[in-house]
Amino acid sequence: MRLTDMAQPAEPSKQSRLTYFDGSSRIVYVTDLEVPFPQGRLIVSSTDLNGIITHANDAFVEMSGYSRDELIGAPHHILRHPDMPKVAFKGLWDDVAAGKKWHGYVKNLRKDGFYYWVYATAVPNIRNGVIVGYTSVRRKPSRTRINELIPLYKQWLDQERSVS
Amino acid sequence: MTITFLIAPDFSPERFAGWHMLNTALQRRSGVHLHLVTPATAHEQSEVMATGQADLVYANPFDAVDMIRTQGYVPFARPAQRFDEMVIATGSESGVATVEDLRPGCRIALTENRDVKLIGLRLLEPADLAESHIEWVHVDSYQAAARKAIKGEVEAAFFLADAYASLTKLTRSHLRVLVESAIHDISHVLLAHPRLAGDLAAIEKAFLGIGQIQGDVELLDALGFPHGFEVMSQEQAEFMIDLMDTLLD
Ligand SMILES: Cc1cc2nc3c(=O)[nH]c(=O)nc-3n(C[C@H](O)[C@H](O)[C@H](O)COP(=O)(O)O)c2cc1C
Repeated sequence: MRLTDMAQPAEPSKQSRLTYFDGSSRIVYVTDLEVPFPQGRLIVSSTDLNGIITHANDAFVEMSGYSRDELIGAPHHILRHPDMPKVAFKGLWDDVAAGKKWHGYVKNLRKDGFYYWVYATAVPNIRNGVIVGYTSVRRKPSRTRINELIPLYKQWLDQERSVS
Repeated sequence: MTITFLIAPDFSPERFAGWHMLNTALQRRSGVHLHLVTPATAHEQSEVMATGQADLVYANPFDAVDMIRTQGYVPFARPAQRFDEMVIATGSESGVATVEDLRPGCRIALTENRDVKLIGLRLLEPADLAESHIEWVHVDSYQAAARKAIKGEVEAAFFLADAYASLTKLTRSHLRVLVESAIHDISHVLLAHPRLAGDLAAIEKAFLGIGQIQGDVELLDALGFPHGFEVMSQEQAEFMIDLMDTLLD
């Protein structure tokens, strides 16, 4: 499934074009508005081996701003925020494909252009010794850690831009 | 043949009668003789597990990981719509208003319950608190944890959500909930040793049927499982274990 361009939010927003790993691309709009992580909850999703969403819990659906129907079958980069450097996701994919657990702080983009920060853990779903998909669980992150990471992510992004 | 039915020690004492009622009903309906084993502590539970004699286990989700993945136990059911959630509360006079107000060196009261501790630690991450930043105060009961929080001997206490809800109204009025988990996906699970294969169908049917006969309401009430039991497939259990794996950093 290819993603269509995002609808422009009512709030002031910045437009950018994201190009994904699979070569597809779309226009996204980002606002400066953050939605806080819901207290006490975990945001859960699973994907197949190609990163196509196969399961989303209620917290995931609520926080993404999309309906469950829009999410299931969509590539997980539907949440990709332009402030997230590609290298962060490369680490995720390298680890889970190797059968390892991955942790990281991720800024996600909602359907309405708002964003939310999470502390994410991704694991491979190993059944009878074979990786059949991946699951990620997000928790409420530490603000201190996020504030430390914002300049680092920015630096990685600048490096990516200067190479391409 | 007698089947040993081990119950994880983390249920509240007032449920004890409920487990015995359940055991009696299961025996009558499955025709299988069940011997109920109720260890008082996690340590006692692991001693029973080490003998290899536990045929049926009502396991807490964290112990289920090892039982399913390394010991080959087969998940088959779980209490319906009843998840393992926890509460972090503080004394109402403590001046602590949010989890983020808890600081390194703070004292937290907790019982032996490992799931409560693990989920609680995850809920403290937004406050930059890891296990080593906390002065843990071990107590024998949730009532004792509540007392310490109310008296200000600790800044916060960890509770199983059910146990918190069953504190008296007066006690709760002196406490303030900082955060309550709403994870929904994590629950206790019923497991069968592979050697039970021949009897499992009858046992499973008996579990799933609880709630359908007159008098079962009292039984489920006594157990604290108003919705009875539901099927838990191997894949559902594996998925729950994957989730738990993400919490075990
Ligand atoms: C289980 C799992 C969960 C993921 N969760 C997210 C997420 O929440 N946000 C996100 O931007 N990417 C997530 N990704 C990574 C995306 O699949 C994708 O790699 C990323 O958005 C970058 O897009 P691209 O790889 O198409 O360039 C997840 C991947 C997996 C396997």
